[in-house]
Amino acid sequence: MHLLSGRARTLESTVGVLILLILVATAVGIYFIQRDFNMTRFGIASQEESQGDFTSVGKAETYNNDNLYEKIDGKAPMYQEAGFVKLDTQRFAAKSNSELGFELYIYDMNNAKNAFSVYSRQKRADATDLNDMGASAFGYVAGNAICISLGKNYIEMIGSAESNELVDGMKGIAKDLSVKLKPTDKDKIVELGYFPAACGEQGRTEGTVAGSWKLQIDNAFGFDGLTNAYSALYKSGDKAVTIFLSRRKNADEAKTIAKSYYDFLITNGAKVLTVDSEILKSSGASVVDFYGSFEMVFSTGVFVGGIHEADNKRAAEKGAEVLIGRLKEIND
Amino acid sequence: MLIRGAKAAASIAAAVGVARWLYDPKGPQAKKEEVNFLGTFAKGLPDFSVPRKDGQVISIIKGQDRAKTVSKAIELLGGIERFISPGDVVVIKPNVGFATPSILGATTHPDVITAVVKLCYEKKASKVIVTDNSINDPASCFTISGISKAASAAGAQVVMPKDSYFSPLTLEGGSLIKDWPVYCAPFAKANKLIGIAPLKNHHRSAASMTMKNWYGLLGGRRNVFHQDINNIIAELAMLVKPTLVILDGTVTMMTNGPTGGSVSDLKKTNTMIASCDMVAADAFGSSLLNLKPADLPYLSIAEKAGVGTVDYESLKPLRAEVT
Repeated sequence: MHLLSGRARTLESTVGVLILLILVATAVGIYFIQRDFNMTRFGIASQEESQGDFTSVGKAETYNNDNLYEKIDGKAPMYQEAGFVKLDTQRFAAKSNSELGFELYIYDMNNAKNAFSVYSRQKRADATDLNDMGASAFGYVAGNAICISLGKNYIEMIGSAESNELVDGMKGIAKDLSVKLKPTDKDKIVELGYFPAACGEQGRTEGTVAGSWKLQIDNAFGFDGLTNAYSALYKSGDKAVTIFLSRRKNADEAKTIAKSYYDFLITNGAKVLTVDSEILKSSGASVVDFYGSFEMVFSTGVFVGGIHEADNKRAAEKGAEVLIGRLKEIND
Repeated sequence: MLIRGAKAAASIAAAVGVARWLYDPKGPQAKKEEVNFLGTFAKGLPDFSVPRKDGQVISIIKGQDRAKTVSKAIELLGGIERFISPGDVVVIKPNVGFATPSILGATTHPDVITAVVKLCYEKKASKVIVTDNSINDPASCFTISGISKAASAAGAQVVMPKDSYFSPLTLEGGSLIKDWPVYCAPFAKANKLIGIAPLKNHHRSAASMTMKNWYGLLGGRRNVFHQDINNIIAELAMLVKPTLVILDGTVTMMTNGPTGGSVSDLKKTNTMIASCDMVAADAFGSSLLNLKPADLPYLSIAEKAGVGTVDYESLKPLRAEVT
């Protein structure tokens, strides 16, 4: 005697087969995705094919959060704490000279801000900016290396030698990548537009130093309450100070964070000083001496802002005045 | 349904039976030839140090030529004959952590390897082994760094890590190195151990020098120790008692360590340090990174554990300059 009717048995069998087919399809899909260890999706040639002046060498490699340390060891936490998703790498050799080559690293950082954060934190002091990267893209050359922030991707090209030929070839690849991985409107980092106008624009001799922006996603300046803090150099005459800003949800949050950061500095040994500027006094800005350097912090509207590690109090206050004026324009 | 239930139960019983048959509660047994080296390390790594000589503990040499500076550094400590005897089996443990060319400063420079291997053979060492447990593919790391070529050309045997070369070790009194796989096999017949490290900034520990160099002996998922980096570096320095350490500060990686990536991360500091005291070597090395010893907590932890002294000046470093 069958407990189930013929129709029910048929239905049961059909559902069982469908489930099995879905499982098999899933397994096959995973297999093909995992097999896709080549760079063609970035517009980069697959193994042993040509890419401009270079030939790819060896297999492309992929790393995730579990094994990123196997490639970059102690640097892995910096990326993981900034939202790392995946790393793809590939080596290339120059066609004209097999002794010359570079290794390409493409870090998927999940979004443009994360990518910009790791880009800006590692930017070398003697970097020369690449000027033709396109909107919302950033890049520089430093010796044998080219580093780029393109949308959600942070990209490094590490050359095997200091060679103009090699770097020129790498710049060609960088250009290809800037087209293939072109940032979209949603990748625009609007906060960079909150800084005062740049030096050199419209003949300005004073202003933000272009290309000096940094983003600290968390634990800015050693204070865990200060997150998503953008900083840049502000130049006035022969002095340059680091100005910073962080946009918060509302004015109350901005005020609370500014106060907490001030308290953090005092707790850690900063000495309170008197603000000289009337503009800054009326804005409630604070200035302290932190072991020989000057720190300032204020809130205005939804922004926390300030000056970090200035070696001149007058220059610090000048930078803060300009920043407050700019942020008030945005608030309005 | 009952028949199907019975079939399912039979399948399960069969699977359990097979699993029970395959189950090995003791785990894989070591091969016969491995048992010997495992027995050697039952109580930890051997002590490879040589008797201390006050006034000849640390030497600091200025110069650009690595072969000359490292030779001078060892000469001032009493010459290679103080450390290597005829017939010795010497293990050299450089930093071969990354598959990057030597110009990037992330790995030990091949010129130092060449010079030290040659010095060992001048004193009739019977064998010199150059080895490391690279975090990345070892063959690529040894080749691209130039270390394999340099070591082999100087007559050393390059040994790549294998799974069977690791033994679980526990550091007595340690809180982190407990029954952890440690790269041991190359030391099984060694008399002497020389660590050779580049001088680098490190994202996690602020610096990577002679003590951090032993991190390469850890097996398993050693990245878990990044969470307690200062204590693991100190414990490694307690675990390993080398004959000599060499800290190559000819070019120092000042930023973006430990991998660097750009020559812009590097600064020519033209200094070579040889030392029988790892803590002292690293304490001095911190100055080349524009740091103070107090900026490196692992130094004071190691000093308290009796590994060495942070106050390197108290050891009266021997100084010279070579051109």
